[in-house]
Amino acid sequence: MASQKRIAKELTECTSSPPTGVTVFLPKDSDLHRWHAILDGPENTVYQGGKFGLVISLPTDYPFKAPTITFATRIYHPNITNDSLGNICLGLLKPENWKPSTRLLSVLEAVRALLVEPLPDDPLEARIADEYRSDRKEFEKTARNYVQRYAKGPPKFDSSENSSTAHEGDDKKGGSGSGTGGS
Amino acid sequence: MADDFDNPRDVELSSLSAIYPEIQQPRPDDPYTITLDVPVNPSKAVTVFFPAAADDASLPTSANGVNGAGPVGPDQQAPVDSHELAHLPSLHLEITLGPLYPTEQPPQITISTNPPWLPAETIKRLEDDAPRLWEEMGRDIIGFTYIDHVQQAADNVFGLVDDKGSLEVDPRHKIAILDYDIKARRAAFEKETFDCGVCLEPKKGSACHRMLDCGHVFCVRCLQDFYNNAIKEGDIAAVKCLGPNCAKQRSKAASLSSKKRKKPRTFINPSELLQIPLDQETVKRYVTLKYKTELEADKNTVYCPRPWCNGAARSKKHKKPQGLELAEVSDDSASEDEDDEDDGPEGEGKSRPYKAAEELLAICEECAFAFCSRCHQSWHGEFVRCTPRRDKEELTAEELASLEYMRLHTSPCPTCGAPAQKTHGCNHMICYRCQSHFCYLCSAWLDPGNPYQHFNEAPDGRVTGCYMRLWELEMGDGDDVGIGFAGGRGGGAAQVAPAAVRIQDLIPEIEEPEEEEEEAHAAAEPQHEEAHANGGQVGVAREGPLVLRIAANQRAGPGRGAPRGRQPAPPAVPAPPAAAPLPVAARGGARAARGGRPQQQAGRGAGAAAAAAAGAQRGGHPGAGAAVARQRGRGRGRARRQNNNNPANQAERAQRRNLNNGNGNLGDLGGDVLDPRHEEWVRQFVQAALNDEEDILFFDDDGPEWDFLD
Repeated sequence: MASQKRIAKELTECTSSPPTGVTVFLPKDSDLHRWHAILDGPENTVYQGGKFGLVISLPTDYPFKAPTITFATRIYHPNITNDSLGNICLGLLKPENWKPSTRLLSVLEAVRALLVEPLPDDPLEARIADEYRSDRKEFEKTARNYVQRYAKGPPKFDSSENSSTAHEGDDKKGGSGSGTGGS
Repeated sequence: MADDFDNPRDVELSSLSAIYPEIQQPRPDDPYTITLDVPVNPSKAVTVFFPAAADDASLPTSANGVNGAGPVGPDQQAPVDSHELAHLPSLHLEITLGPLYPTEQPPQITISTNPPWLPAETIKRLEDDAPRLWEEMGRDIIGFTYIDHVQQAADNVFGLVDDKGSLEVDPRHKIAILDYDIKARRAAFEKETFDCGVCLEPKKGSACHRMLDCGHVFCVRCLQDFYNNAIKEGDIAAVKCLGPNCAKQRSKAASLSSKKRKKPRTFINPSELLQIPLDQETVKRYVTLKYKTELEADKNTVYCPRPWCNGAARSKKHKKPQGLELAEVSDDSASEDEDDEDDGPEGEGKSRPYKAAEELLAICEECAFAFCSRCHQSWHGEFVRCTPRRDKEELTAEELASLEYMRLHTSPCPTCGAPAQKTHGCNHMICYRCQSHFCYLCSAWLDPGNPYQHFNEAPDGRVTGCYMRLWELEMGDGDDVGIGFAGGRGGGAAQVAPAAVRIQDLIPEIEEPEEEEEEAHAAAEPQHEEAHANGGQVGVAREGPLVLRIAANQRAGPGRGAPRGRQPAPPAVPAPPAAAPLPVAARGGARAARGGRPQQQAGRGAGAAAAAAAGAQRGGHPGAGAAVARQRGRGRGRARRQNNNNPANQAERAQRRNLNNGNGNLGDLGGDVLDPRHEEWVRQFVQAALNDEEDILFFDDDGPEWDFLD
């Protein structure tokens, strides 16, 4: 119960005064334990202009256990798996580092900070991390390419269809931004 | 009554009690004596020194865990015991308004503190302030003025605090003063409101807990939920302050300054857990788990060798530092563990005279088993030389040898990998574990329907690497298999017995006594088929020593499962040379033996002679298939005795020759037999046979093993 209360509180907090560039909302007919968020690619980064869908899953014993956050939109980043799962490597969320008093607000901020400054020394995608370190130009090119291909439309959150919808996203450029007007 | 109202004392009393509702009138007989506690809460926390404490009472300070206890200014000497205190024991004012007050007499003031930490002169001064004020006020009522004056004076602790903000107090009152401070803080804390960082609810201080080490505040409910859960799950590392980065930062800071503690302590003291409060049981579990974790983290930990205990036992050597740390951890809550630790140093004291012993002797903390930490045997005293303890991965020479032996002399089952060692028979194996059929030579899986195809030519003419090798290694794989060459130094019968022992030892070691049988069976049956399909002689002919079996084949083949005769293989090896050397010949098998010789010299199946003999034997005992091995020796003798006649012999030889002709190269193998070891064995065997003890050489027990021979 305490968990529900806190989640509700945090949700209010995140929706009423959202972190920069992030829109948080509850998907339709979802319980409090699954949130969606849309992250605007931070300015002056290769991700600028992209709209990245985030799925935030809160375990039932949240906040005692860390939430999990995944990218629903594919992204080319050393710390985010380059697949339809979109797992994020975020120290804050590791079970051994998680502190119950960490708020989702700061988690979301951390995710955003990760886009601003990738951490190639603690990579999930070693190859991308290598490229990031040694061939920044190529990395940026690919990353921008990904943004163009996957992150231009309104993000799709259904992870199972994620890979297939990615292509549809390309075609629906016209609708971009419609879901993110709130922020 | 009207008089009362006019009495300025009454007027003052009523107004005072309106201002200070906590005012009491302790003496029922004297309504004009009032008491009041004036709190001494300096607006700026005071550093309180307990000057002499450095010598006598310094130890308990840290144990008290006073919040804010910390190092002082650099000009202060380290050993001086000092504490930042915001609350000092309050002043107890007793004001008696005498009958002549206010006009003629100042109020009588008595000031006390509990404990009496204020210097007498300060008290005196404060008390004297009353008449002074009274005079200054023109001998008017001064009750409020005076109390207010004292309160203000309390703000800088009555001028006792020097400009550095420090105050010196008699160390005798230290505990009480610190105690008071804690209580006062707690009281103040409980009146506050906090936002719990976990449930994000505002909570009254009374429902919250301030972490002793870092001062973060969380509500008791959340702390309980979290810690109970973490301890239940065994996630001891999570039992830290719940603030993000709190523990991390502190451990970093601690390692930077590293002044107070050598090791940064970020975990929570059990006593604090009890304060929160957590269940005694839970805290106990926490302490136990913590202790276990520490033990496991220490590579030098020695565990009790008793299998049923296996408890965390520690050698004395490593017990000490850990014990202290844990004792510190466990404080009041740690139950048994602490007791154990208490035992530790004593025990060590006892064993101190023996230095070596002190290092070696370990006593299990669970079951009090005393053992040697080097060899893990029960304690043998310090003068026993024992083998150093080995790493778990490290293998003994023995183990290595047996692994090496397995590598050399076993074949793994292709299905389950179980190693099999052939003790005798053909190379068609059936795994004792999973019943797979496989080839002993190459571990290839064999079709149970036609396992011998592997050793034969396929219909399309292709052959495997094991073509015609069904009977290779017939006497088994490895020197020790079967009879081996034990006691090869001399022919004495005395040495034969050990050999037998060795065999028996060996069998359990390779764990396949059953398989032997199965294998033998397997070997037997297929051989049968093969004997027909392939002429049966092929494999046989490749190896000189197999003669016996050949003989058996030839004989028994038609009548019943031909191959039965195969078992005695091992003895067959040496048999041929046996024929050559003396005693056998002397025994009357001479002809047979001699008959064999030319062939031997021809470099061929030395076994021919034996074959002849065996054949003869077979002839002599057509129905005695059972204990071939045993009988072989004996049988040979008998055969000899029973006139192992030339015709039979020659028949064998003829066969043999045919075989050899048929398979030109095969005979060569026989030459191997002349290996000196073989010769030695033969000599031995013959010796044994002479003593009629050759049975021992083979198998002592009449064989269930040989039952299948029938």
